[in-house]
Amino acid sequence: MNYGFVIDNRKCIGCHACSTACKSENEVPLGVYRTWVKYVETGAYPDVRRHFQVTRCNHCANPPCVRICPVTAMYQRADGIVEFDPRICIGCKACMQACPYDAIYIDPETHTAAKCHFCSHRIELGLEPACVVVCPEHAIIAGDMDDPESEISRVLAAHKVTVRKPEQGTAPKLFYIDGNDWALHPTATERAPATFMWADVIPLQAKPNGHAEALHPAPAVGPLYPGSVRTAHSGVAIRTPQVQGVPAGGPIHIGGGRMAEQMVQVAYNAQHKIPWHWPVPAYLVTKGVGAGLFLILGLAFALLGQPFHAPTAVVGGLTALIFIGLTTGLLVYDLERPERFLSILYRPQWRSWLTRGAFVLVGFSGIAGLWWLLETGTLMGLIPAGLSAALRLPLLGIGMVLAVGAAIYTAFLFGQAEGRDLWQSSLLPFHLLVQALMAGSAILFVIGLVFAWPPELLRLNRILFPIVLLVDLFVILVGEFGMPHATELAARAAHAISHGRYRRHFWQGSIGLGHLVPLLLLLVAGLLPPAAPWLSALAGLATLVGLSLFEYAFVMAPQELPNS
Amino acid sequence: MSQPSTIERLLSAMLRRPGGPERPRGSWRELGMPTFATADRQPEAVPMTVVRQPDGRLSQYPPPEKWDDWVEWDGKAWPQRVPRRYMLIPTVCFNCESACGLLAYVDRETLEIKKFEGNPVHPGSRGRNCAKGPATHNQTYDPERILYPLKRVGARGEGKWKRVSWDEALEDIAAHMRASRLQRRDGIVYHVGRPGEDGYTNRCILAWGVDGHNSHTNICSASARLGYALWGGFDRPSPDHAHARVILLISSHLETGHYFNPHAQRIIEGKMAGAKLITLDPRLSNTASMSDLWLPTWPGSETTVLLAIANYLLQNDLYDRDFMRRWVNWEETLAAIRDGQLEVNDPALRRELASLSFPPGDEAFGLFERALKSLYAEFTFARAAAEAQVPVERIRQAAEWIAQCDGKLAAHIWRAASIGNLGGWQVARALFFLNVLTGSVGTPGGTSGNEWNKFVPKPFATPPGPEAWNELHFPNEYPFAHYEMSFLLPHFLEEGRGRIDVYFTRVYNPMWINPDGFMWLKALRDETKIGLHVALTPTWNESAWFADYVLPMGHAGERHDLMSQETHAGQWLAFRQPVRRVALEKLGHKVRYTYEANPGEVWEENEFWIELSARMDPDGSLGIRCWFESPYRPGEIITVEEYYRWIFENSVPGLPEAAAAEGLTPLQYMRKYGVFEVKHTNYTPYEKPAPEGKGVLVDGERKVGFETPSGKLEFFSPTLYQWGWTEREYTIPWPLKSHVHPDFINREKGEMVLLPNFRLPTLIHTRSANAKWLYEISHKNPIWMHPNDAERIGVKTGDLVRVTTEIGYFVDTVWVTEGIKPGIIAMSHHLGRWRLHENLGVNPGMSSLARLEEEDGRFKLTYIHGARPWHSFDPDTERIWWEDVGVHQNLTHAVHPDPLSGAHCWLQKAVNVRKAEPGDRHGDVWVDTKRSMAVYRQWLALTRPADRYSPNGTRRPLWLKRPLKPTKAAYALPIRSGEEAVPGNGRQAVPAMPERQKP
Repeated sequence: MNYGFVIDNRKCIGCHACSTACKSENEVPLGVYRTWVKYVETGAYPDVRRHFQVTRCNHCANPPCVRICPVTAMYQRADGIVEFDPRICIGCKACMQACPYDAIYIDPETHTAAKCHFCSHRIELGLEPACVVVCPEHAIIAGDMDDPESEISRVLAAHKVTVRKPEQGTAPKLFYIDGNDWALHPTATERAPATFMWADVIPLQAKPNGHAEALHPAPAVGPLYPGSVRTAHSGVAIRTPQVQGVPAGGPIHIGGGRMAEQMVQVAYNAQHKIPWHWPVPAYLVTKGVGAGLFLILGLAFALLGQPFHAPTAVVGGLTALIFIGLTTGLLVYDLERPERFLSILYRPQWRSWLTRGAFVLVGFSGIAGLWWLLETGTLMGLIPAGLSAALRLPLLGIGMVLAVGAAIYTAFLFGQAEGRDLWQSSLLPFHLLVQALMAGSAILFVIGLVFAWPPELLRLNRILFPIVLLVDLFVILVGEFGMPHATELAARAAHAISHGRYRRHFWQGSIGLGHLVPLLLLLVAGLLPPAAPWLSALAGLATLVGLSLFEYAFVMAPQELPNS
Repeated sequence: MSQPSTIERLLSAMLRRPGGPERPRGSWRELGMPTFATADRQPEAVPMTVVRQPDGRLSQYPPPEKWDDWVEWDGKAWPQRVPRRYMLIPTVCFNCESACGLLAYVDRETLEIKKFEGNPVHPGSRGRNCAKGPATHNQTYDPERILYPLKRVGARGEGKWKRVSWDEALEDIAAHMRASRLQRRDGIVYHVGRPGEDGYTNRCILAWGVDGHNSHTNICSASARLGYALWGGFDRPSPDHAHARVILLISSHLETGHYFNPHAQRIIEGKMAGAKLITLDPRLSNTASMSDLWLPTWPGSETTVLLAIANYLLQNDLYDRDFMRRWVNWEETLAAIRDGQLEVNDPALRRELASLSFPPGDEAFGLFERALKSLYAEFTFARAAAEAQVPVERIRQAAEWIAQCDGKLAAHIWRAASIGNLGGWQVARALFFLNVLTGSVGTPGGTSGNEWNKFVPKPFATPPGPEAWNELHFPNEYPFAHYEMSFLLPHFLEEGRGRIDVYFTRVYNPMWINPDGFMWLKALRDETKIGLHVALTPTWNESAWFADYVLPMGHAGERHDLMSQETHAGQWLAFRQPVRRVALEKLGHKVRYTYEANPGEVWEENEFWIELSARMDPDGSLGIRCWFESPYRPGEIITVEEYYRWIFENSVPGLPEAAAAEGLTPLQYMRKYGVFEVKHTNYTPYEKPAPEGKGVLVDGERKVGFETPSGKLEFFSPTLYQWGWTEREYTIPWPLKSHVHPDFINREKGEMVLLPNFRLPTLIHTRSANAKWLYEISHKNPIWMHPNDAERIGVKTGDLVRVTTEIGYFVDTVWVTEGIKPGIIAMSHHLGRWRLHENLGVNPGMSSLARLEEEDGRFKLTYIHGARPWHSFDPDTERIWWEDVGVHQNLTHAVHPDPLSGAHCWLQKAVNVRKAEPGDRHGDVWVDTKRSMAVYRQWLALTRPADRYSPNGTRRPLWLKRPLKPTKAAYALPIRSGEEAVPGNGRQAVPAMPERQKP
């Protein structure tokens, strides 16, 4: 058994019967769709066409949503149907980030992920999905592709078909006859216009259950031809080569503000809200602080042989633990079903980096917590000093390994988010580690205002802080945003950060406030030793604010790009 | 759902997040609505029937033998296996006139209707539906439903209501009707928007003995109907798309129209089998987009384009000569040429005709061909291309395809150009001319008459036609009005032409849907013009606000009706049923009235009319009661079940036998299947032999022929000639100059044409506001504008524009698209609903709250706010995410009655289209009703009234169709003092009199 769909665009008349039949069969609430009809208009009068594309879950043979789900709420049945279980889903929305097709939404009633499930409750009785039954044109064909006699197998054998985003490697099992490139490719059109042809357009950045922040369409990236013209050695006037990977103005322009095929505009589409908001970038920061501070303490005490200083261990350890606790809190807070968060631990899906990360966090909290309890107990005279001294090195060692894991696992989770190409960066694990050290270093200086760190540690931090700031700056400018991005989606997201809507977060926030200002303050601090604690603390604070702004841009920008 | 763990529940309580899916349910009970079994029912071991086919195929539907007890898994609870037991009861969709089959899934335990799917045994819709079919569920469970009869308290239009009993309403209304009927026979009016049934209500009106039927047809299909009626007596086409070689549409049947879903299925079927699809439309409809050839013609040029194609067929001898000779009234046409009634620029021909003896023999047919070639020679492709402003290659391509159609040209016009333009009926006539030329009349793949493919069974007794003539409906000025001059009713009332005693509006929102709505507002609120206004409606509408009674009537699954439509070359009869009543009865409960089974006290009209009619004539003295007495129980009032039982037992050929074969009574059979196929195929019925004294002689054989005076297809219309329309542009297919002809639209001055009459595939006319799934997809109607026009006036998509018409203006946003002809702006028809009270009237999620101001006949409507989420028992109402619910453009449309067909010509001259002014707000509407009356009078002056032109003293040609045809005597024009021709200016007693001689 291997179920799939064929949608025959030669027959589809764009009537939306499938959309309402699906709502009826599955009691889908307003605001979300399991299947919808995208309308794209192309051409110039009188050579115009409106293309209809029934759009829904592709029931991928290699579904990224299943891989990322931490609790097996999203799963692939043996018959090839990708199904979900709202009783289990914790609402982490990772599957929505993993789906490169905008097929998954959060159900406003159950607060769990939902999508087309091939009407598997009907399939089991031998009934076609509701959308297939209602379709006036029999333009939707559902069936078993393993059975060579089935209608779908015969249609697939006889027709040229296409799928959405084959390059994702997801192996979609929804095939289009006469698929239209403009409709298939979400970024081939401009962003949603101010209105659709018969429906309101909601701001893209609307919060999952609230109303939107005002959002204006992103400005067009630029003209097709650059303004500046140079002269080649041969004397011929030539165009200046353009930036790599940044498509000029989105769709292919043909001049006069028009696109290839004259007009390419989305006339109707289902609208998707951004799954992850501020808690996720905030979690990246708190996690960095917690893991980074622990790493610095470990470096100092375990690797660099700095003299052990019990109050430092207690205060520093507590701070790290508080931030890791905050991290967990933010993670739980961001769940649509936070009360179910423990199910990550008791019904883990081990392929998911959300699961792996949760265990890393738990492990890290456990080891760091044990260490901190021992040191605190010893300081308060409740535990013999010998015990904590004996366990110090092993605990710090294991803790450091786990801290590195806690810092970088998100890179692997983001890597599983196949719908957000910018996040799939091979530099990201290293970058997150550097960010963690930077954040740890920064918080150390900030705490230094109220707590007297041992001078050795401060000395270490004065060396470490500028180094990690410079390394991070290098990673950002030369790595993440200096290198061209391999995919168009990643390039667009990066462009939105460096030149688009998030350019202030990026340049003023991250680069300026987050790196240059602290470096400058540290320089001044070196010249003005009496003011050093204050200046260093200020530098630390600036770094943390800059990091938050960077993470916000980094998390939000890729989510704004359409996947359908 | 499985039990949540203790920690989950604890956390749920702490975090105040729901512990699982929940739906507020108690309120259903308070509302008297059925409730669904609670979702936390534990899984149980139920034997499930698997209906996978032996060859591994999936099934569309459960087999009919399982319909009484079908178990399937709850889709919402899935993957938890919660079985649900249903009864599957067939009914008929009510959301357009197609009468597609529906299958209601009625929960056996709670009697809730879970969903509506298609009816797989329905020959028209074949188990498939459009978006509106499943949305029937929204209407049924609409939180804004009217559940009880309401009576006005306070002034009319004040918006204050009290609940009354059905008994009270019936007594009061019946008393008013009786009083009116005792005085006169045109005081009671039934004004229907969506009929959704064949003949039941008309029979009641006949029984009342009044000329009281009014409809919406003259703002819809009347113009095209006249074009077809003049040809062949039938008034609508029934194309056999599935077998066509060429499908020619002046319509958008892949998204709307009669009969959208059944026709769309067959059009695509035909196309997949190789048919070429050609569409004429100035706007890129979805249909145009799916076409092989799109002809974006300038409105009004369609006739010229069609005649250019006709001319190509004629000049190249590519027409079906034999069919023409046998079936066209060419002898009459030649006689007309001979007598100088039809001018042909061929003097030799006339001389030859003068010496010809009549009736001429077949050899004279060549003269007719010569006449045709001469008549249409001027219609070149170049001329058509210039007038239509389309590339000439496209017209030639269309002509070449049509020439090769081999008698398989399926052509349809629905609304579009016919209802858009002055003289639009000639578009239909020119279109059918192509069917005639290609011999594609009633053939496989050709185009039939609607009546051939529609089956309307006779009830047990039919009252005679009224001995009266309602001059508010068929006034003297419009002897050819194909249907009632419905949209001029307020103008007639304003002129003092009469008054109405009892006015029923039925699934009809005249103030909203007609042009010039503020004239309706003035009429509806005036109790001296409209005595008692009873709104029969499932839901609130703008006009019901001005009613005296608002009586809740059932949706598709809540009423009995019979319907048949010409969806293809066959005949079927479908039975709409109150599905909960049927389910209750199947479960052994006794139901006296359908409202006992419906939500609240929502009734069905069938029973309502029986009860009302009986009470109107309690002692039988008016001769009304007898028509409502049971054929099974003499003297007693009929039940609705008896009414249909009699029809199924006596009037449907083949049904009793089919039922007997299954061991069922005919009524049981129809209750089970909801439909019966009367004829599988039906081609060229006019060729069938006719008995002596009937039909028409063709090649020496007596044939059934056509329902025209000649029995043939009438190329030249003697009727039009006799009634004073003597010019060539009327008597034969010929272009008439539209009121939006380029000569009248000065584009330099910023004038444009507003195309206001297109529909969306997801809308139920003005009734969509109670279907949330439909409104979620389509809720606003921005103005479509070509980029060149947008650039000229300096606007882009989303900007506000003010459109000034002849009588006022409106303000709306713009949708810039290449999919519209430059110079034309278009707005979808059925959006822009509003209400005057925040919490009553139209659904708050689907209408704008509006303020209405009036000063000396000038009206202003402004929106206070758009759609908003609101609280109800349906959690979805709080999820309304859209705001713009459209602009009510119709208010600003002047009335344009076509002097012949009487149809409103919808296209509007946009005197000015410009960027909105600073004070303008979205939704603003301003109208001066003094200008309304001025435009009305301009158009009225174009008529040729019966009292001046009737050749025989009758009000209209007797052979032409008319709803509820009165007795022949009532056709006589009233005698006026001194026999002077006076334009109709009031009602007069109409004595029965013999036909007068031509004045």
